[in-house]
Amino acid sequence: MSARRLKAAGLWVATFLLMLVMCLPGLWVVLSAFRPNREILAKPPIWVPQRLTLDNFGKIFGFGAEQVAIPVGSYFLNSLVIAMTSTVIALAVGIAGGYAFARFRFRGKNAVFLGLMLFRAVPGIALSLPIFMLWSWIGLINTRPGLIIVYVSLNVPFTVWLIDGFFRQIPASLSEAALVDGCTRWQAFWRIEFPLARSGIAAAGVFAFLTSWNEFALASQLTRSTASKTLPVGLMDFTAQFTIDWAGMCAMAVIIIVPALILTFLVQRHLISGLTFGGVKG
Amino acid sequence: MKRTLTALALGASVAALGSVAAAADYGSFPGYTLKVKLIGGAQYEPLYAEIGKWEEMTGAKVEILSRKNHFELDREIKQDIAAGTLDWCVGSNHTSFAPQYGNIYADLRELIPEETLAGFVPLVLEHSTVGGRLVQLPRHSDVSNLYYIRSLFENEDNKARFRAEYGYDLAPPETWAQVKDMAMFFADPPDFFGFQFVGKDEAVNGRFYEMLVAEGGQMFTDDWAPAFNSEAGVRALQFFVDLYQAKAVPAGVPNYLWDDTGLGFASGTVAMNLDWGGWSAFFNDPANSKVAGDIGLVRAPKGSSGRRTGWSGSHTFSITETCDNKAAAASFITFLTDYDRQMIEARKGLLPTRTQVWEDIKAEFAAAGDDFMVMVFETFQASMAEDAFTPPLIPEWIEVSNVLWPRLQAAIVGDMTAQEALDVAAKEALAIMEDAGYR
Amino acid sequence: MTALLRTHRTDPAPFLLLAPAVLVMLSVVALPLVFSLWTSLTPYRLTRPETIGAFIGLRNYIRLFSDGAFWAAFGRTLLFLVIALNVEFLLGLGIALLINRITWGQRTLRTVMMFPMMFSPILVGFQFKFLFNDHIGIVNNALQSLGLIDFAIPWLVDGRLAMFSIIFAEVWMSTSVFAILLLAGLFAMPRDPIEAAKVDGCNPWQVFRHITLPFLMPFVYIAMTIRSLDVARAYDIVKVMTDGGPAGRTELLWTLIARTGYENARMGQANAMAYVSTVLSVLFTWYFARKLIAARRTMGGAE
Repeated sequence: MSARRLKAAGLWVATFLLMLVMCLPGLWVVLSAFRPNREILAKPPIWVPQRLTLDNFGKIFGFGAEQVAIPVGSYFLNSLVIAMTSTVIALAVGIAGGYAFARFRFRGKNAVFLGLMLFRAVPGIALSLPIFMLWSWIGLINTRPGLIIVYVSLNVPFTVWLIDGFFRQIPASLSEAALVDGCTRWQAFWRIEFPLARSGIAAAGVFAFLTSWNEFALASQLTRSTASKTLPVGLMDFTAQFTIDWAGMCAMAVIIIVPALILTFLVQRHLISGLTFGGVKG
Repeated sequence: MKRTLTALALGASVAALGSVAAAADYGSFPGYTLKVKLIGGAQYEPLYAEIGKWEEMTGAKVEILSRKNHFELDREIKQDIAAGTLDWCVGSNHTSFAPQYGNIYADLRELIPEETLAGFVPLVLEHSTVGGRLVQLPRHSDVSNLYYIRSLFENEDNKARFRAEYGYDLAPPETWAQVKDMAMFFADPPDFFGFQFVGKDEAVNGRFYEMLVAEGGQMFTDDWAPAFNSEAGVRALQFFVDLYQAKAVPAGVPNYLWDDTGLGFASGTVAMNLDWGGWSAFFNDPANSKVAGDIGLVRAPKGSSGRRTGWSGSHTFSITETCDNKAAAASFITFLTDYDRQMIEARKGLLPTRTQVWEDIKAEFAAAGDDFMVMVFETFQASMAEDAFTPPLIPEWIEVSNVLWPRLQAAIVGDMTAQEALDVAAKEALAIMEDAGYR
Repeated sequence: MTALLRTHRTDPAPFLLLAPAVLVMLSVVALPLVFSLWTSLTPYRLTRPETIGAFIGLRNYIRLFSDGAFWAAFGRTLLFLVIALNVEFLLGLGIALLINRITWGQRTLRTVMMFPMMFSPILVGFQFKFLFNDHIGIVNNALQSLGLIDFAIPWLVDGRLAMFSIIFAEVWMSTSVFAILLLAGLFAMPRDPIEAAKVDGCNPWQVFRHITLPFLMPFVYIAMTIRSLDVARAYDIVKVMTDGGPAGRTELLWTLIARTGYENARMGQANAMAYVSTVLSVLFTWYFARKLIAARRTMGGAE
């Protein structure tokens, strides 16, 4: 028994180390956030950090001597509001759409499904200028709603598809029974089907959140000031014409990564089962 | 402390002389909100801390709509032109980019009094003029000169070996041919390099362009046909090719931009570096740089025509034609480029555009005993006055630039000969110029 | 099958439910596409708004077809996609198989596995630009410190290595997506057939080849579909790492479009290119999505 346990532990450690190696390029960014530029960019290289410091974070928040503070607070708030709102809306739209696909039979179903997917496949670079023009005509440039709408469209197709698969594998007889008991279809949905689809919704939500949280190309076009700039766009504040403050950028990166990582860890359980059942079965 | 006192004393003496800037009246615009778009980044920010003073004097508010690096700002302004959303008044601009924007910016000669403009270096104002209109007020200028590690040139052993190998004395180079010799002499890849250059985007174009001029060539003929594939052009490009092929520069230079060259020189692993004045304080700061205290600086060397390289540009401010209160905007940009404000930027090593500031900043550093910065300003003042020239101030420059630099890279990395590369680029550039109706 | 599933053809319910999804896609994607289609038929320049009115027919497209640089970028983009997607798939499969064997502490490992997904593409670009820097980059420094090389490898300059470097960055960022989706597939896998095969004396490779892999294929299509939806995210990476250089060696469609459209301000020409790249992306997605729908039909038995 203990031999078996030892083997399991060994496997875990080996896998963990392998994952760690895979993550090295990212971990290097995290480590750099706590080191001064002069040390990170040294030649010959300094392998063992001589000095760990919070200066890079201090600079971002404006505690440094000359550095003007990066408005990281408003970037964070924008990112949070935009990513959260667009995720919630994408889920609502996705639940409605997924339910329609799973529970109704209608003409052109596959065509609509495929259409949603194909629209999503249009590269952002092809859309950036036209969206910019349209948005500026209706006054959505540099506003949170402007970016939220775009992110909803980025996430809806995947969400619809995942949630569709999930509803399919919930036996229709369950909600039918509820109908017989005198529930309306609306009540049946919320009491029976929605709770059962929770994992799928959570999985779709994580993917949607990560996409919105990290998106750069469109955000850099559609946002301009602290009124709407998100964290990834804020990374560019560390670049000037002649210089890049790499250590500062790494510190900012940590601020971006940590919330996403925590969220991912929290919903990890739902994530796998959501993808499993939503993905293909159904 | 001592430095501050001197600065105060100087400021006072200038005010006493009745300097235009110090005595200026910035007008009164109570309740007005001025919308501006400014270039951002560490070296530009200290100036913006002064904006509060202008607000106090005039009663106006300044709303900074965006603050980002120049390439992003360029894109944003083009989008604004496209969407017709030029609902702001003041924008950061640059002499190399200004011609692209057509007529969105107002002629400042109609907005800013002649006596104010008289305080600026005439050559820089000329560079700020597009199609006869002064579309921008220069804030600070850029031109490159040659930094080098002094101890390497003073080392007796190096001197003896160099003399034996090349037949002349090792000394800070006066010509680019000497730079090439010395770069190869000092190079010891992959740990140490003789020279380096920015190798992509508009940056490598600028380097090629100034070398072309120094070799006696020109970018376009007088009737706007591309002429850079001349013998002079090949010589200019061959300089970069030879250094790269001889591994006298880092293998990564075709992907280098300004941050790479600046950090490279500060890391103490490059003997000579052609770079902007804005880096000088950084290079001489022991906290950032391993070569602090050991830096020499000479004017950019000469090409075979006897002319020095002097690719130059200025960061500037412009006022939109659509601005609803041009008087306030003019007051604002006059304030940002006045004597006191330029002194603040000059103390950081940025090159001023006012004649008086050049003199006073040198005096200030001399009084503070900072010989290095005095040398920096003397060297850069000479090159701004005598060597500086801009790229052709036409809207198509950036576009021509974008067909040229990939070909320059092709020659540098050995995909094409210099002649082939320039011929192909010239053909593409010709198509652009024809499309634009020049020919 | 059931009353609930069967609805009348005139029942508006499914259309009402789908309306928001369709509406948002139409307004954010279809409408802009119409706009850019029009501009691709004009000599539209960003800095000269009036040029948007001048119709020049298919001239931008015709010019494109004789443009060697464009087709080189097109081919390179295709190569980039094929290599990146396949490598991501193989690595993701390996990681998924490995993690699937772990029973204890898996949640932590899965989070670690998804770590690269937390990185914004723009950040990944900067990260690998610094890692692969020839002079101060950690990769060359490590190799030199270990005594493996005594020269600097120009990762971002050499023709093959520069492509390798941007593909490496892309693979690093996106392998996790494959891994998590394939892991989900492995979780869904029934144990019985595997046990039965083992009893019949199949070796692990045979089990994998004939049982696990076929079962996993639909999940592979899902992963491929999802990835093909946003491969263009790689634009941010390439823009920062090499911007298509040096000498156009890493020029992809997306960098070419961005430079033409914004820096050169030739939006008409850029939108013509963008249309071609849109067709490429749509074909990729269409191919995988068809397979996906088919797989779903066989797996789930539902329509």
